[in-house]
Order: sequence, then structure tokens, then C-alpha cells
Amino acid sequence: MQKIPLNLAEAEMVLARDVFRNDSPAGIPICGKGTTLTDSLIGRLAHLGVQSIYVEGHPVQQEGERSLEEQLADLERRFSKTGANRYNQVLLDVYRKHITTMMGEDGGRTAE
Amino acid sequence: MDERRSDLKRIIMDTKTLPTLPGVITKLNSLSENDKASVQEMARIVASDQVLSARILRLANSPSYGFYRVSTISNAMILLGVNVVKSLALSSSIFEIMEKNSIGLWEHSLGVATAANITAKKLGIPEVEEIATAGLLHDIGKVIIGLKCTDEMLDIRHAIETDELYILEAERQILDTDHAEVGGWLAKSWYLPDKLSEPISFHHNLIKSDSHRVKAAVVHFADVLIKASAFGDSGDPYVPMIDPLAWEVLKLDEKLVEDIVAELEDKLIEVKNFSLEMQIADATEA
Repeated sequence: MQKIPLNLAEAEMVLARDVFRNDSPAGIPICGKGTTLTDSLIGRLAHLGVQSIYVEGHPVQQEGERSLEEQLADLERRFSKTGANRYNQVLLDVYRKHITTMMGEDGGRTAE
Repeated sequence: MDERRSDLKRIIMDTKTLPTLPGVITKLNSLSENDKASVQEMARIVASDQVLSARILRLANSPSYGFYRVSTISNAMILLGVNVVKSLALSSSIFEIMEKNSIGLWEHSLGVATAANITAKKLGIPEVEEIATAGLLHDIGKVIIGLKCTDEMLDIRHAIETDELYILEAERQILDTDHAEVGGWLAKSWYLPDKLSEPISFHHNLIKSDSHRVKAAVVHFADVLIKASAFGDSGDPYVPMIDPLAWEVLKLDEKLVEDIVAELEDKLIEVKNFSLEMQIADATEA
């Protein structure tokens, strides 16, 4: 799963989360997850003021973006002083899973 | 040994050496003591200072609070509360210094405010806006130390790097005090309410927080989250130890933490954009 600005969206990408109108994130979704994007759909989303969307996998390689392995190594380094604390261990696991999911691997997490 | 500490305290409590407080604050302070003062009246006083109002409204509309449609000061007073608006007014000069001199610390503060907001909402803790504001203010002590102890700051930075210390440890080693205590002194000298000053003073030492331990625990946890997310720069790269007391009073569990982290990581993109927009706005102003 990756969050991308709508202007980088392309046809054939698949929505990983429901899309809401920009001004009412708690309202009714305007496009459901699992939908395959088309050019006209992207145009309509833009027209409704949607700024960013979540898509399956990790289709857009952003400049300066670090690989999954690099990101996980950075994470371990940040937690290096507190590995022994069990609450920090829980938090480290949560972050590990989150980063893995965001980088397109499912990381053993059930679909949202 | 305590000489340094009391010297520093004297300097900090001496309001004359602090970044200038806007004149409206004095008026506001005298008003809020008087219970009859209406929100409208207070809003009028703040609104009379246009630069200050603009800064407050900008923050009130930041992702850290999540309202986005606060268009007037009286609106802000109703949505965020009088305490919050007053605190934002009081700290506006400190925020200005952060934005100019240490954008990393400013982003860390915005991030902690956002994380505190998300955590408090998720856990159903009341006074979310106060807690977010305490998050925004939790490291003001670092700004003061940076201003008053420029030489010692070099030693502190050096100690963090060579001995792999937390900034808190380095500050204690070199100054005999730390940013939490200094922030607490400043909060007291501003007469901030306890619900804001306690989280500032005790976000690294929850056991000492008596009357607002839940708020202090949220700010502590939010600080840990932002360090784990590597958002902004608070002086050292290490995630702090989660205080078991925080885990306990907030009744955290893995599922809750998962939800909070997912929402936070999402929101941090907005916070980054907000910070960039503010920098651009400030550059064009100057």
C-alpha cells in the first residue's frame, strides 16, 4: 500500500483504501477500495478536490526514497537504546509492520 | 553544583531577558482573572493585534488541531478554548524563534502536538485541544537553553554525538538541569495553567505529575511516537524509553498503538506540508 498524490495516479492502479471527499474524511466514500483506476475516474476524483489516494503495492518510486531494508535498518537504529523495554519492543513491532505494509509488502497484516 | 542551575533559573525567570511578550498578553491576563470577561471581549483584544492573530489562526488551522476552518479569533476561542488561544499567544515569539533557528525542533513540536491529538482522541481522553497544545509546547525549554546557553549547547551536542546520549542526559550532565525543568519554569513565569505546565515539566518524569498525569502521559507517548517516526529533529536520534506508567494510565495495547501509528504516519505528511507552507509564507513576508 502506498499513499500517492493524485497527480501521480495512473490508469490500472488499484485503490487500497476507500477515497473520501477531501473536506469530509468521515463522510460517505466516493470510490471504494479495490477499484481499478481509469483516466476518466482520476479526472473525476481531481474534480472533486481529492488530493491523495492509497494504492496497492508500491508503484511510484519517489526521489530520495529509501528501500524497505534501509528504512528498517534506520528504525532499528532509532530503537537501539531501548530494545530491552517490552513496551518499546511492542512499538518497534508496530512500526516494522507499518513500514513493511506501506512499502507494498503485506507484512502478514490482514487487509484493512 | 547547583550554582549553574540557579543561575540559569534566575535568568529564565527574569522576564526582561525573555523574548518579548506581545502587549495584548498583559491585557488578556488581567481579563481572564475576571470571570465576567466574555469570550467575545477577549477575542476582541487578541484580534486587535493583527500579526499575532494571523499567527494564532495559522496554528489553529494546522493539522495539529485538525479543525481547518477556524477563521476568526472568537471562533478559535470557542473551538480551542481560551486557555489554548492564550498559550498560543504567549508562545508565539518562542515559536517564531523555533521556526527561524531550529526548524527541526519546530517540526518535532508540531509532530508531537499532532500525535498527542490523535492519541487523546483515540483513547477518548477529554480536553484534546489542551493536550495538543501541551504537545506543541513540551520542548520550549530547549529554545530557552539554545538562546541563553549558546556555548554549553556546543558541549551538549558534542556529548550527544560522542557518548550517544539522549539530549536530556547531556543537558543534565552539562547544565545540571534539563529542558523539561526549564520549560516548566517558563510555563510558571507565564502563569500557564497546571494542565499545560505539568506535561511540559514532566513529559520525561511522569511519576512527578500529580494532578494531570494522563495529559503528561499522552505528551510523553506522543514524543516517543514522533521519535520513532523520525519526524523533525529534537536533538538526538534515539527513541525514548516508554514509561511503564504511561502504558498503564493510558491503558495502551498493541491494537490501539497500531491504529494510532497508522493514523499518525498518514497525518505527518500533512504536518510536513504545513511546515513547508509556513516557511514559504515567512520567506515572502520578510
